[in-house]
Amino acid sequence: MNEETNKTIEKYKKTLTIRICLLSVLMLFAVLLGIFHTFYLPAKLMTSEIFSFQCGIIIGLGLMSLILIIRYSQILPDNTALQKQYNKENDERMKAIRAKAGMPILLITSVLMIVAGILIGYLNICVFYTLIAAAFCQLLMGCIVKFIFIKKS
Amino acid sequence: MYTRIKDLRKEKKLSQEDLALAVGTTRQTITSIETGKYIASLPLAYKIAHYFGLTIEEVFDLSEYE
Repeated sequence: MNEETNKTIEKYKKTLTIRICLLSVLMLFAVLLGIFHTFYLPAKLMTSEIFSFQCGIIIGLGLMSLILIIRYSQILPDNTALQKQYNKENDERMKAIRAKAGMPILLITSVLMIVAGILIGYLNICVFYTLIAAAFCQLLMGCIVKFIFIKKS
Repeated sequence: MYTRIKDLRKEKKLSQEDLALAVGTTRQTITSIETGKYIASLPLAYKIAHYFGLTIEEVFDLSEYE
């Protein structure tokens, strides 16, 4: 490995460490919410579909965080694995495919729609379902387009 | 686009994974370039050619653009 590659890998190591810290915070939040949901949930919220959806999403994000933390922790001590992961994240072909599939704007708008859906859900459940369905359809379309371009190039 | 990457790799007894690691890309991208499904960017083409100690023209067939 040359000096430039070593510098890049060192920088990437720092990025992964920061990511692990942020994901740990998210996981902790999910665990706390899980504890609250199991032991301290007020009866009023028990039947709330929106609150259950929120809990489901946050617990799902928590599990995803856990998987990513384990993966990053395994990669960190191994320089070859680090470089492979760095190459994977910065691969020009995948970047081009992601851009064609409308990422990351599609992802950002979908997340905004889900957040808006959760907020508006406390006022109107119909709008909540519509926004969530639209966000998932949007994400699904993005995934299909991405898959098609992966096969094509 | 036709490339000589596969032949050059075989001469050096390199796997796609090894080449990908050396030039900073993924094995899938090397496969796509070799099969002509994907056209490498100028920096990647330069890195590949430089890795084999050749020029871009010697690795990639650019005749269709002439």
